[in-house]
Amino acid sequence: MTPARSDRCRALLERLSRYVDGDLNGAERRAVTAHLRGCPTCNSMAESLKHTVCLCRDASTTRLPPAVRARAKARVAALLVSQSKTGGRVRATKATAH
Amino acid sequence: MSLLDGAAGHGRETDYEALLVAAQTGNQQAMERLLMRAQEVAYRFSLLVCGHADDADDAMQEALLKTYRFAGQIKEPAAFRTWLYRTVKNACLIGRRRRVHEPAHMVSLDELMVAPDGSVQRMDVKDGGPSPDDIVVNSRLRRTLRRALQQLPPEFRVIVFLREIEGLSTREVATVVGISEANVKTRLHRARLFLRQQLEAP
Repeated sequence: MTPARSDRCRALLERLSRYVDGDLNGAERRAVTAHLRGCPTCNSMAESLKHTVCLCRDASTTRLPPAVRARAKARVAALLVSQSKTGGRVRATKATAH
Repeated sequence: MSLLDGAAGHGRETDYEALLVAAQTGNQQAMERLLMRAQEVAYRFSLLVCGHADDADDAMQEALLKTYRFAGQIKEPAAFRTWLYRTVKNACLIGRRRRVHEPAHMVSLDELMVAPDGSVQRMDVKDGGPSPDDIVVNSRLRRTLRRALQQLPPEFRVIVFLREIEGLSTREVATVVGISEANVKTRLHRARLFLRQQLEAP
């Protein structure tokens, strides 16, 4: 039986995202780390999962394209000007936060 | 750095709080920045989750107005970020329902990539940063990621967007989506495995 098919590997796979996120407690983390050191298949899986997470997070370095940004700024300016003409202060609405 | 120069990315919950508190005390720059942030969130959500560029303006307008009205009354600034994402999600989904018969498609993720200096970093532009080989590899990976995101069911795609792309905590994602933290983690794990598989495919 290959390591990838072993029960331990399957159990580790379920915890791999939490491992990558640093969401495991000390004992769990140490157990996963020890397994990864001895299992090239799972270690490769962990590395590629980390890579996937990094790639997704690269997409967070985003801003609006120039034309969209210009429209957004114009909306803000128009809103603030219209509010200043009508008395200006932020009005309460039914919106709620919890 | 001016409040108006804030960049998108992870770990900005304190930025939102600071902006909101400043806006509530009459800081015009902070209010402007907050309103821009709200529209940026709506734009990214429209493109990456709903996949409809045409809906973005409506969602941005909705986020702008609700943020402006809400900013004056919130008593817990820490709750603002989750309120904003929930508001944007609802606005985008309402817009999406109007177009229910049209197939969803993902608009270019590459378009949104920007360099650290804020300039738009299109993949066909050599900017002296990554090598041409890196650019080709990154471009291919981003296209693959975009396609993979499209293939995820919406309830998984929104989790990836909020957690991975927008950097919300698991608890915040759970609040925005209205599911348990455990469910967020399960969906995120499955989505990551799917995305990994797509990215690794030859």
